[in-house]
Amino acid sequence: MGGKITCTLGEVKNRADFIVYWGGNPAECHPRHFTKYTLTQKGKFVPLGRKGRTMVLVDIRETPSAKAADIFLQIRPGKDFEVVTTLRALLKGQRIDPARVADTGLTLDQLQDLVDRMKRAKFGVIFFGMGLSMTRGKHMNSGAILTLAAELNAFTKFVCMPMRGHGNVTGADVVLRWTTGYPFGVNLSRGYPRFNPGEFSTVDLLVRGDNDAALILGADPGATMPQPGIDHLARIPTIVLDPKVTHTSRLARVHITTAVTGISAPGTAYRMDEIPLPLRPALTSPYPTDEEVIRRIRQAVARKPAWAPPAAVPTAS
Amino acid sequence: MLRITGGTVYDPANGVNGVVRDVCIADGRIVSDVEGGRTIDATGMIVFPGGVDVHTHVAGGALNFARGLVPENQRVARKFLHAPGRRGGIGGMTPTTFATGYLYAGMGWTTVNEAAVPILTAKHTHEELHDTPIVDKSCLLLMANNEIVLDLLEAGEVERARDVVGWLVWAAKVYGVKAVNPGGVAAWKWGKNASALHGPIEGYKTLTPATIISGLAGIVDDLGLPHPMHLHCNNLGNPGNVATTIETMKLLQGHRAHMAHLQFHAYGGDGWETMRSGAVEVAEAFDSHPNLTADAGAILFGDAVTITADGPWQHMLHQLTGRKWGNLDVENETGCGIVPYVYRDRHIVNAVQWAVGLELLLLTRDPWRMFLTTDHPNGGAFWRYPEIIQLLMDAEYRKEQVRKLPEAAQSRIVLGDIDREYSLYDVAIVTAAGPARALGLTQKGHLGVGADADVTIYPAKPAADGVLFSYPRYVLKAGEIVVEEGEIRAVTDGREFIVKPAFDDRIEEYLRPLFQKVYTISFENYPVEIERVRGASVVGVRS
Repeated sequence: MGGKITCTLGEVKNRADFIVYWGGNPAECHPRHFTKYTLTQKGKFVPLGRKGRTMVLVDIRETPSAKAADIFLQIRPGKDFEVVTTLRALLKGQRIDPARVADTGLTLDQLQDLVDRMKRAKFGVIFFGMGLSMTRGKHMNSGAILTLAAELNAFTKFVCMPMRGHGNVTGADVVLRWTTGYPFGVNLSRGYPRFNPGEFSTVDLLVRGDNDAALILGADPGATMPQPGIDHLARIPTIVLDPKVTHTSRLARVHITTAVTGISAPGTAYRMDEIPLPLRPALTSPYPTDEEVIRRIRQAVARKPAWAPPAAVPTAS
Repeated sequence: MLRITGGTVYDPANGVNGVVRDVCIADGRIVSDVEGGRTIDATGMIVFPGGVDVHTHVAGGALNFARGLVPENQRVARKFLHAPGRRGGIGGMTPTTFATGYLYAGMGWTTVNEAAVPILTAKHTHEELHDTPIVDKSCLLLMANNEIVLDLLEAGEVERARDVVGWLVWAAKVYGVKAVNPGGVAAWKWGKNASALHGPIEGYKTLTPATIISGLAGIVDDLGLPHPMHLHCNNLGNPGNVATTIETMKLLQGHRAHMAHLQFHAYGGDGWETMRSGAVEVAEAFDSHPNLTADAGAILFGDAVTITADGPWQHMLHQLTGRKWGNLDVENETGCGIVPYVYRDRHIVNAVQWAVGLELLLLTRDPWRMFLTTDHPNGGAFWRYPEIIQLLMDAEYRKEQVRKLPEAAQSRIVLGDIDREYSLYDVAIVTAAGPARALGLTQKGHLGVGADADVTIYPAKPAADGVLFSYPRYVLKAGEIVVEEGEIRAVTDGREFIVKPAFDDRIEEYLRPLFQKVYTISFENYPVEIERVRGASVVGVRS
């Protein structure tokens, strides 16, 4: 188990005849996803556009995205792992007791129908949202659905992709990987990168109160973190770089207003499929860019004497 | 200004074979003489041109995908502590960018060629190459499954395909053209492969891998790119693929081409049960095609991470091993697959693979055409090159290793019967002079007047680990001492070599509407801005 079978969104546009959204509400959260990439576009090998594609939505409630779906499968909250695992078993031709499936909210017939359709697809794709990856089971759910997509490749072409959001979170993930080897939850306190999600990820550090300062860039944890984490941010020196006033900036010791990247500052954003896109500013801003602020902080820090005794500081020569 | 004095110099491009002489450096280049400046006493040491890696995977979307896929490898990998002027990082199979620069330089290699760049994510590759310090870089564009090019080749519109390739090379700001499993990756978009050179490719009526191979090689020659088409043949890794490889060589008659990681394409037999070395046949065929160069793609026992644009092969390897599998198809252009792998010396197939890489390096007659690589990180990490050099230089040691292999493997290889030993001169050819020449980098791989002052000075006797080339005494990059006694002394920014071929500008009018139909980003966002390629050095095309 493990791995990730994926593609860029153009592959979906050009080829996908079977599209599953799982634990997400793209109609409201990624409103251009249907029209730019997945459903309504005519693709090179899907000349009929929407008519040439089947869309399935799996979720715990009937969101506005259900209107776009050909098939809506409503599952019980917290049953994603059980449903995915049952699909994997059906894919391999295992016998399933219908009674044991009942508490997922779906019938065995519905699940068998989904598996049959997946196998019949010419090019299938599963997009999964935080309704799958951040609910009971968490990374186990992500692992299970990625494995399902991988195993479907024994029958047909199938890919899988998380529905990433929150601005340029993919870009942060990409850059951290090439600079530290890890995508998030990186600890540099020993002078080299260490990775342990659950220990070094932001939410865990804040809730435990491990860090004694915070520099926050392009995020608003004051709006999304658990209360103990927010309380800790208010307790320690927190510095926020943000173009606007946010929940976090209100509790921060320092708020540096910066230019808006993509509107009044240049940069690069990575799309959810890791394609880099250049951002070209249309306006100018009286405020500095994030990059400029960070560079000046770094220069100022470099001028300060080391905090450790000189003998403990490694040198370049 | 700097003078290296007393060292025994090996500079094959200038016919210098173990002569004690001074090497003088000024303004980052080799000069005939200098007055004053520092002197390095290299008495009792050997002086080589800085190493040149003709085929490696060190940057870009695929490698970065692999980094994320194998945190368990990073955890046990060598650590790099940050220090003033030096970034922290991680070594291992898929090193972080900064560590990649330190590891190559630490081994005495000063130029690397990243061998697989999709156009759509070329911006990412250039960002990573910029973050790879010290070494100079070049990179190659994936082209043999680009559907716009393939459609033109099927329609027989070679002229227009030539302009498209020229436009794409400049748009992506790369140095050359790579062809991976021609047609096979396009077929993989439908879950198929292209294994017959003369059979039509899935999704096409008449187009065959053979048409792509000869068509693209011709286009690259026509555009006058300094490096010929860089080819990863069809049927990589499959027992019996010798036939495909030899047939491909015939298709390339009349063109220049570089055949990548030939080890993976030199297997005999007709299944895993009967798989044996096909190195003798491949080496013989290769020797009779002076238009070709190749690199070994040798494997070493131990951990590896296989990363290739060859998606169908990776699915096969995943099914074969049950290891985790990453796959990323890039719209209209290419794909990539990743499977972590361990080469085991008790495993017959792995043992044969190990032998085939060395056999190719030893059986091919002209070291100027067969170079040292491991197809990093596919056959093993690049920082293990010194282990391969040791196997090439010492026949007795090599035979000792062969005798440790399972008997079933020994009967399927010829390595045990080969007595050839590489001289230091040969080593300098396969690690520096040869690859630089194949890449068309005239200022690299030699120590003649005017060359870049990239120099590696090794002790004449092996270091504590018994491997001669593992610890250079000094490494100079552009005349600056970057490594001394295994310590990074200076972190410099390398350059990036790119080419601007001539093409008809009007091709953009042809590409724009096509692009907007099948891609999902705007045409204006497709080309890499020249400002993004920091340290760009434009190399002229061949006349």
